[in-house]
Amino acid sequence: MSDLQPQTKRRPDGAALVIAAGLAVIAGVMLWDSARLADLGGYSGVGPASVPRVVAGGLLGLAGWTVLAALRGDFPERPPQRVAPVLWIVAGLAVQLLLLHVAGFSIATGILFACTAFAFGKRNLAMTLPIGIAFAFVVWVVFSQLLMLHLPPGPLEHLFFPGG
Amino acid sequence: MGAFDFLMQGLATAADPMLLFYALIGVTLGTAVGVLPGIGPALTVALLLPVTYRLDPAGSLIMFAGIYYGGMYGGSTTSILLNTPGESASIITALEGNKMARKGRGGPALATAAIGSFIAGLIATLLLAFLAPTIVKLALVFGPREYFALMVLAFVTVSAAFGDSALRGLTSLFLGLALACVGIDQLTGQARLSFGQAELLDGIEVTTMAVAMFAVGEALFIAGQRDQHDDEVTAVKGSVWMSRSDWARSWKPWLRGTVIGFPIGAMPAGGAEIGTFLSYATEKKLSKHPEEFGQGAIEGVAGPEAANNASAAGTLVPLLTLGLPTSATAAIMLAGFQQFGLQPGPLLFATNPTLVWGLIASLLIANAMLLVLNLPLIGLWVKLLTVPKPWLYAGILLFATLGTIGANPSSVELGMLLGFGVLGYVMRLYGYPIAPIVVGLILGPMAEQQLRRALSISQGDWSYLLHSPIAATLLGIAALALIVPLILRARGKGQVLAQLAGDED
Amino acid sequence: MKHLVLASLFAGAMALPAMADYTIIAPANPGGGWDQTARTMQTVLQEEGISKSVQVQNVPGAGGTIGLAQFASQNKGNPDALIVGGYVMVGAILTNNSPVSLKDVTPIARLTGEYEAIVVPAASEIQDMAGLVEKLKADPGAVSWAGGSAGGTDHIAVGLIAKAAGVDPTRINYIAYSGGGEALAAILGNQVTAGISSLGEFEAQIQAGTLRLLAVSAPERLEGVDAPTLQEAGLDVTLENWRMVAAAPGLSDEQKAKVTADVEKMAKSENWQKQLADKGWMDTFLAGPEFDAQLAKDTEATAAILKDIGLVK
Repeated sequence: MSDLQPQTKRRPDGAALVIAAGLAVIAGVMLWDSARLADLGGYSGVGPASVPRVVAGGLLGLAGWTVLAALRGDFPERPPQRVAPVLWIVAGLAVQLLLLHVAGFSIATGILFACTAFAFGKRNLAMTLPIGIAFAFVVWVVFSQLLMLHLPPGPLEHLFFPGG
Repeated sequence: MGAFDFLMQGLATAADPMLLFYALIGVTLGTAVGVLPGIGPALTVALLLPVTYRLDPAGSLIMFAGIYYGGMYGGSTTSILLNTPGESASIITALEGNKMARKGRGGPALATAAIGSFIAGLIATLLLAFLAPTIVKLALVFGPREYFALMVLAFVTVSAAFGDSALRGLTSLFLGLALACVGIDQLTGQARLSFGQAELLDGIEVTTMAVAMFAVGEALFIAGQRDQHDDEVTAVKGSVWMSRSDWARSWKPWLRGTVIGFPIGAMPAGGAEIGTFLSYATEKKLSKHPEEFGQGAIEGVAGPEAANNASAAGTLVPLLTLGLPTSATAAIMLAGFQQFGLQPGPLLFATNPTLVWGLIASLLIANAMLLVLNLPLIGLWVKLLTVPKPWLYAGILLFATLGTIGANPSSVELGMLLGFGVLGYVMRLYGYPIAPIVVGLILGPMAEQQLRRALSISQGDWSYLLHSPIAATLLGIAALALIVPLILRARGKGQVLAQLAGDED
Repeated sequence: MKHLVLASLFAGAMALPAMADYTIIAPANPGGGWDQTARTMQTVLQEEGISKSVQVQNVPGAGGTIGLAQFASQNKGNPDALIVGGYVMVGAILTNNSPVSLKDVTPIARLTGEYEAIVVPAASEIQDMAGLVEKLKADPGAVSWAGGSAGGTDHIAVGLIAKAAGVDPTRINYIAYSGGGEALAAILGNQVTAGISSLGEFEAQIQAGTLRLLAVSAPERLEGVDAPTLQEAGLDVTLENWRMVAAAPGLSDEQKAKVTADVEKMAKSENWQKQLADKGWMDTFLAGPEFDAQLAKDTEATAAILKDIGLVK
């Protein structure tokens, strides 16, 4: 994917600095969390807190290294990205998550389907939404009724399968 | 009657047309369900096990074997074609396989996976049949320190395959190790990094993580690309079939994968994915075309796929000889055996030979059936890539979430799918390889637990780790694997190594 | 080919009635003991015609406490919802500080149970329980015990044994494995001094002579098992790793009685007995006030020993 060559001279890379800060924060959280663990190392001498501390140390080192790389401009250039399609898919997943237990599998997943299709250029929601819901419903029937996989039902599923 | 006679008798029974038909249905159903991202062989078998209840023991046994093999093969199909590994053992397959598929070589990739799985399954099943009692004795020699040494070796060899930037590869690995700390510490029962959330107590599910990183992250990344036509996937370029050179490059990896995968599968705490990691690293080392690794090297599909299948047969060794289920799939198979009144254990081969050999014959037949069914279908499978992108990715996300919801219908799990999907997207954006974070999540807890168990047994004496010849040898190989490239680099051969290392997200 | 698949799926569809009666939550992943219990119940309830259609739903996590919490909050007053659980849940509720406990559901009956077995590898110099206790008293650290997860039944049993032998339970060298199976490999490989898990996990090895059974945690000798109880060995410990079924909270007395009657009918059926025999499970059916009393007693004793081991503050 990212077969872009790092360029030789660039100004410090802001995004890389943010990444470094993120790594440091994760390391901090791990150290903080490991401090409240009871020391139950028992006979091994290596307790539950030991490994998180080592990993946190490693992350701190990598954060430092990332800062160096950012200052030297060693980070590869990003392929240009469009934000809107990415947000459409993220929104689709979020809506599915929120609606799953309320509206049931078919409707929630149908919306995800339509959002994804939108992100990839099929903009006609009036068409993609019904297709998505119908497709998800068929999938629901096959998996929940034939294979007994538990997929949350909603109004649509109850309409066709009052018991399930 | 000798072992061979029993096997022949089993094969003769299983050759009945009706039984072959059951095998066919089993393989088809298994493949159909196993194809879904996030639904691995364990869940496939669990879902379809009730289907087998309706049949007589022979039919039920053979259908069961078919479902098992079908479920495993289905997983690699989606890994190769759609870059959405459904379980940890097919992550490595996705690395090279998907690169091949994008270049129009999906056909050969699927073929080498299918044939490699078949050959590995065949050899491993025969090894299982004739050597199981011996192999299990060897496997039991492995205690915590030997496993720890094996994990160290896996870490070192896999790290070498982490792409061109040591910084980004290591960062990805350490993020995986950090995520691996989440959940109840198995040795003391204490909750780590769970922040009082009950859903985090069991840690982060590897399948959720893999599906999020690969399927969701990939969909986001492709959607965000400014010029979508640039990355148009070629469905088929050249023959759908394997060329002469594909064969020449595949057969050794198949055999090596089998040799690596089978014993690791037989070890009670080995794990199928370790075999695929080691096989991938080995193939990369031995390949005559190292520059192709990361760009779609057929060896990188052939070896790990063979290792995966061989290790699956390997898990049957402790299961049949000790009654020891060593993986989720094996645990479900145990339940499956029990419905036939088969109580696996050390006396099984002696007390119940007909059933055992019937099972082994069933496995052989299901394995062959899978090949017969899938080779002609490869042409159809690769057509999947010609589905227009909006529908293809909408479908991928539908099935990816279906797998996650089906395995555990919890909002937290779906939230993680979304969160890690975004993380996977950001990592792709900044050129971080994806595989190391998943490898860290898998290997981290194994290595930590084995180390702490070993030290607990030795009451804190670190030298105990080196007192076993096996552990010492494995650690020695790991040390060599770490040091030799450094020396080579110091001698100015760094260029070659940089080329060796592909970028494999 | 396609027709074939469709035909077989269709045939499957015809065989399944549309109505679901009971939904059983298995608060664990497919393949484990609770999942198998739930799926066996599913089979027997359907085949005996007690329920037309039964669905099993896996809600894995944290020793069953996630499934329990979800079950309790989503099914108030729903007489069709059941959850499988067991002794492990009692410990997990305490170690995980679970906000939902077994008091928040309606326990119906204990279905099956297993006793703990203490074993050593056949090559071990330890011949009987007295030998093991002697070593434990001399140097607790030198006796490594392989068993299931930390805070689980096996760990609790070792704590109880140490306490009964007069050894400080915090000083046991317990090596937790993800399950009895993985622990078995460590014992067979001579990696540890002793092993502890459900008797069923070891039975085949004991018969084959690769493990030596020292004692079982049953209140009296088990039929067909050639080993003393822990009490006979001078340690006042009995422990049963039981599995149960519970119904939703907030049921009326009639609803509870109906569920209990259905479960009892299932447990007394020949079909269920045959399934138990196939799987090597022991029938320890117990319902009504006797079961409630047993549950209360177990909860109290477990809380005490988990504190002694240092897992619960």
